[in-house]
Amino acid sequence: MTPLILSLLAGVAMGALIQRVRASSPAMIAANLRLENLSIIKFMATTIAVGAMLAYLLAAFIGPEAMHFDIKPTYVVGVLIGGLIFGVGFGLGGYCPGTCVVGAGEGRKDALWAILGGVVGALIFTLVFSSVIAPINKLMDYGKVTLDQVLHLPAVGVAIGLGAIVLGIVYMLPTDVKKRS
Amino acid sequence: MATSVPQAPPAAAAGSSKFPAWATLGAIFGVVGALSIWTWGPIGVSGTYPRFIGAILRRVTPGYAFANPYLEKMGSLIKPETFLVIGLLIGGFLAAKLAGDKAQAEEYIHPGETSKSKRYRDAFLGGLLIVFGARMAGGCTSGHIISGITQLSISGMIFAAGVFATGIITAKLMHKGAK
Repeated sequence: MTPLILSLLAGVAMGALIQRVRASSPAMIAANLRLENLSIIKFMATTIAVGAMLAYLLAAFIGPEAMHFDIKPTYVVGVLIGGLIFGVGFGLGGYCPGTCVVGAGEGRKDALWAILGGVVGALIFTLVFSSVIAPINKLMDYGKVTLDQVLHLPAVGVAIGLGAIVLGIVYMLPTDVKKRS
Repeated sequence: MATSVPQAPPAAAAGSSKFPAWATLGAIFGVVGALSIWTWGPIGVSGTYPRFIGAILRRVTPGYAFANPYLEKMGSLIKPETFLVIGLLIGGFLAAKLAGDKAQAEEYIHPGETSKSKRYRDAFLGGLLIVFGARMAGGCTSGHIISGITQLSISGMIFAAGVFATGIITAKLMHKGAK
């Protein structure tokens, strides 16, 4: 029961943060993908940097087995093709599977169409999974791989190093690109 | 009012000059993400879509639903991720209400979106592709990019590279194409 309540609270916080930073605005997403305004990309990068440093520092103190890490497998071909398909939809509609739900919450009608599209996409995926997707996703499957394993370095060190580099890049980049140029 | 011209890109959420909104909100989101990994698991959204399909198909056509390996793998809707998605709806509603934001019913984001129906078409097709692509890769912006790279996962980094490659190309082409 507790995980359900905690995940609901995390969802409320996440929804409010996405709404406040305007990531639920498809026009804002399109401006970011056109690289005219980088505020959402910088928001995501900051989230990842802070989250990685904090999660692995916590793991170093209380032990990784006390954390609920869940690494997704690296089946290179399927992950990459999935990402490429996702990017086309992201650029076309300006929503991702979470931001359209946030957008629906704040009264956007096009967000409802994006959710409907997502439901149809999930149905089509379910229908073609065994015949089309499963064979592709068996290609170049390296299982659960993390950057610290590839580099043969301690996870907490890699998390802090990556976080510091990402934060450094993010703070150097302009937010409103057109104003600077 | 018939809006046939795409609106100018919206201004970024402000915040102070020292701590712009994206930095403050991003840092808070990072704390939420890390606390989630500590207490229940990494945040993720897109798996809820096929779980929803599964919940429907198990009622409509149980024979097919229980024999489908993907629906069996994804399991029931009674999962933390489902409650996370319900939370997104509540969080978006509450934040907009408390801040007095009135979101536009539809935003025209490409010059080719000259009517409501064309905007809804792009939102629908975009929604279809993002969920299909996310399910193929095993996660979306939250599961793969945010939670994935937070956990130093290589799959999240590959997914992010794919998303931004075609995302940037598509957004730029849609912007130029119809001019």
